[in-house]
Amino acid sequence: MHRPSSIREILDLLELHGEDARILAGGQTLVPMLAMRVASPAHLIDLSLTQELHQFNVTKGSLRVGAGVTQSTLEGWDLLAITQPLLKMMFPWVAHSPIRNRGTVCGSIAHADPSAEMVLALMTLGGSVTLACKKRERRVKAADFFLGALQTSRESNELIVSVEFPIQSAGTGFGFAEYGYRHGDFAVVAVAVVRNGKSWTIGFGGVDDTVKVSRIEASSLAEVNEHINKLASTIEVREDPTATSGLRRHLMRSMGARAAKQAFEFEGEYQS
Amino acid sequence: MTEQSIHLTINGIERAAKCEDRTALLDFVRHDLGLTGTHAGCEHGVCGACTVEVNGQIVRSCLMFACQANGASVKTVEGIAQAGELSDLQAAFKKHHALQCGFCTPGFLMAAEDLLQKNTSPSDSEVREGLSGNLCRCTGYVGIVEAVLEVAEQRRNAIGDTHA
Repeated sequence: MHRPSSIREILDLLELHGEDARILAGGQTLVPMLAMRVASPAHLIDLSLTQELHQFNVTKGSLRVGAGVTQSTLEGWDLLAITQPLLKMMFPWVAHSPIRNRGTVCGSIAHADPSAEMVLALMTLGGSVTLACKKRERRVKAADFFLGALQTSRESNELIVSVEFPIQSAGTGFGFAEYGYRHGDFAVVAVAVVRNGKSWTIGFGGVDDTVKVSRIEASSLAEVNEHINKLASTIEVREDPTATSGLRRHLMRSMGARAAKQAFEFEGEYQS
Repeated sequence: MTEQSIHLTINGIERAAKCEDRTALLDFVRHDLGLTGTHAGCEHGVCGACTVEVNGQIVRSCLMFACQANGASVKTVEGIAQAGELSDLQAAFKKHHALQCGFCTPGFLMAAEDLLQKNTSPSDSEVREGLSGNLCRCTGYVGIVEAVLEVAEQRRNAIGDTHA
């Protein structure tokens, strides 16, 4: 295990060990994978001593979250509800508090589970991922970052330095609804809705290999629900032991309607 | 770099020890420090039996490496009892039959203590939600919830008494 104290050292290690290395952020997914021997990297690069990654801030119209920031740190930030209300709504649904105490926002994004709330938020808000390797830094749109279930466009020598959640304009409404079998379980279906006037963005997590995002212009809630109905009938929906595709389509409609209503009636102190 | 020297404070006592990189905090606490109150259940973060407090936050000790606790202050279930006496929470678990085999109890005590620190008057559902990361496979949750609610009330009353 390597325990570097700067981004530069991390990038050197990644350049050297690349394919044989895994980044250890909060470890709430990676360590179980190690325990079950699903992953057996020769090198672990622990981010916990790299202070520059343990920061989040509002910059260039986005909430920028560094690779070492835990979910509970962000959840406990007193300005989260007015800066990024969608995340505030989602955190109680991300596993359990002892997991959020170590699990990181970026780690969840890096893992790219299509039912993960952080992935759904980044996709629905149209966010981005900042990746660095020794030679360059690049920013990738969320839609280009997630390639499939647990698959991303990160190269083996790259570190996710931060993710950026764009801050929406004043008056934007947010909604979130999720269905899982027990509290803290993976979402069977999760829906996030962002409404800016007549422009609606609806993201569905858990339905397929990547989060599905759909945008429409609608002047009434009925129109939005009609749109969700159509989506639920037409888009590709996976079937697995946790739920049939029929149940998932049903949940897209019911959770979708709930989240849309919440976004329609949203009255947060939201400020941009 | 396979073995490291680490220093940590465990239940208020400073300890120095060597550990392998691969050693989980859970195994370090049990085998190297001899504190076997923390239990190894699922060992992949699901059951909560291994819950300990690290720098004031409860975590799964099976999902953290011992070397990551270097310099940290760690509290285990052994740190809950005061001077050999059961704490109010432990006594309430006993009274309400909140344990049967007792395997999950150390994790529940750590999680419940954390919950009570954050929320002094939790509702039934808040207790259930707060403890939802811990699994009990024999006695069920009713007694556990009752014990936690009773302690919350006792502590509120105690604070009221001193102020009266």
